Amino acid sequence: MTLEFLDPTHESGAAAFAPAKRLATLKGATLGIVSNGKKGTKPFFDAFERELKQRYGVAKVVRTTKSNYSAPAEAGIMTEAERWQALVSGIGD
Amino acid sequence: MVSIPRSTTKPGAGLRSKRHRADDFAAAQELFHSRGWTDGLPVVPPTPPLVSACLEWALMPPGQLVGIEPVRSRPITAEKLAVNAVMAGCLPMHFPLVVAAFTAMLQEPFLLHGATASTGGAAILIVVNGPVRAELGMSGSFNALGPSDRATSVIGRAIRLVLLNLLDARPGEIDRSTLGHPGKISYCVAEDEEGSPWLPLAEERGVPPGASAVTVLAAGAPRQLMNEWTTAPEEILDTYASEIRASMRHYSIWPGNYAVVVPPQLRAHFERASWSKADVREYLHRKARVRRSEWADCGKGSVVGERGEREYAAFGSPEDVLVIAAGGPAGGFGAVIPPWYGNKSRAVTMAIGACVDCEA
Amino acid sequence: MTSNFAGAAELMARALGAEGYRFVVIEHPISSASAEDLAGRARRAAAECAELLCAPASG
Repeated sequence: MTLEFLDPTHESGAAAFAPAKRLATLKGATLGIVSNGKKGTKPFFDAFERELKQRYGVAKVVRTTKSNYSAPAEAGIMTEAERWQALVSGIGD
Repeated sequence: MVSIPRSTTKPGAGLRSKRHRADDFAAAQELFHSRGWTDGLPVVPPTPPLVSACLEWALMPPGQLVGIEPVRSRPITAEKLAVNAVMAGCLPMHFPLVVAAFTAMLQEPFLLHGATASTGGAAILIVVNGPVRAELGMSGSFNALGPSDRATSVIGRAIRLVLLNLLDARPGEIDRSTLGHPGKISYCVAEDEEGSPWLPLAEERGVPPGASAVTVLAAGAPRQLMNEWTTAPEEILDTYASEIRASMRHYSIWPGNYAVVVPPQLRAHFERASWSKADVREYLHRKARVRRSEWADCGKGSVVGERGEREYAAFGSPEDVLVIAAGGPAGGFGAVIPPWYGNKSRAVTMAIGACVDCEA
Repeated sequence: MTSNFAGAAELMARALGAEGYRFVVIEHPISSASAEDLAGRARRAAAECAELLCAPASG
C-alpha cells in the first residue's frame, strides 16, 4: 500500500548573499575584531593584532567582544562595524 | 480508545509541504532514516490527513507563522510543527502543547540557537501545568523524569524532531553537543499539582490560576539525590544545595534557572513544617553558593588565580529556582536539573493558547 | 574557526545562503593552548585573513 507523506524539513530557499567587496590592500585600513571572549581568544587576538599592524600595515585595530558568546553580536557592535573596512570574527570553538 | 476528530474539510487541504511516497510502512522508515529526519527511532509517517487533524484540533491554518528562529531567520509554521508532531507519535490533542512549547522556545530569553547548538549538550525540559495534564492522561507520579505516559513521551519527542528537521540541529551539524544526554530523546514532565500543597510552577511564574501552561528550560541531565534520613526541611534542602554546589564546581559555576524536583515522600516533610515553595526557594538561594577556590579540589586549580575568595551563587534571586512537585509515592529521591550554561538561556513559561503578539 | 568546528561553519554558511564562504581554520582547542602556540596560530591566521580580505593582485 503506497504511503504519501509530508516533508518534515525546512523547505524555503535562503536569501541571496553577496560578499562585501575585497580591499585593494590592508595598508592603512581600520580592521575590527569581534571576539566571542572565550578562554584563549585574548592572547590569540593580541598576537593577531600585532601581526596585522607589523606585517600587513593595518593602521587601526578595533577590538570588541560579544556580551554572549552563544548569540550573534549585539546591534551596537554591528553599528560600529560600519566604520571599519574589514571585520574578523572569532573564534568558533 | 482514542477517537480522532473527523475532518470537515478535504484532508490535506492547504498543506504546502513537499509530498513523498513510499511503497509501505517499512520503506517509509528507511526513507526517513536515510535522510536524517529521525532521532534514530521509528516514526509515524506524517500523512496529510494526520497532519490536517492536528492543525484542525488546534484551530491553526497550515501557513500560520508560529515564530521565526532569529539566528537563521528561519520561519516556523504550524504545518511543519504538525508534521514533526505526527512523526513523534502525537495525536491531535497533544499538538497544542507542542505549539506552546516551541513558541516559548522562540522567545528571546530562551536563546534557542545557542541552547541547541552548544557543545554543552542541553535538552529541552518541558514542565506542564494545569487541566491539560488530566485531559491528556499525563502522570507526574512514577518515573516522572523517565517515560511515564504517552503524552509526555510524544510531546517531548516532537520538540526534538522539530529541532532536527526545522533547525538542522543534528549531531555534528548545527548540534555540536560533545555528550548530550538521554533527555534529548524526550524530556517532558507533568507537575503533580493534586498531590502537592504548593502552587503550580506556572502559577508561581505568572500564569493565572487554573490555566494550562508549559515552562521550557534548556537543561542538563537530572542529578538524582537521596535523603530519607531526616524530616527537617533544612536538612533535606541541604542535600539539594549540596548537589547544586557540586554541579557548580564540576560543570558550571554560573547562576541560572536550576530545577529542583521534589517527590511526595519529601514534600510531606515540607507540608508538615508549613514550608511553601517560596520558603524552599529562599533557602536554596542562600545555601547554594561556592567559592572560586573550591575549583582547586576538583582539578581546576589552574583557573582559580587571585580570586579564590570570590563567592558565586547558583541563583541571581530566589525566583530563579524552579521547584517542581513530581515523582512516585515512595522514595526520598529528589533531583537537581542544572541549566545548560548559567543565564545564557532563561526558562520561559507560556500559557497554552497564549497569543504572544496580542495586546494585553 | 577551530578545526573541530569547520563543518559547523560550512553548514551555517549554507543555511545563510553563503555556500562556499571561505574562512580561516586554526588548530583546536584554544582554551588550553599556550601563549606561544596561540601566537603561532595567530601568525598563520593573519596571513590567511590578509589573503581572504584583499582582492588578488592583477597582472
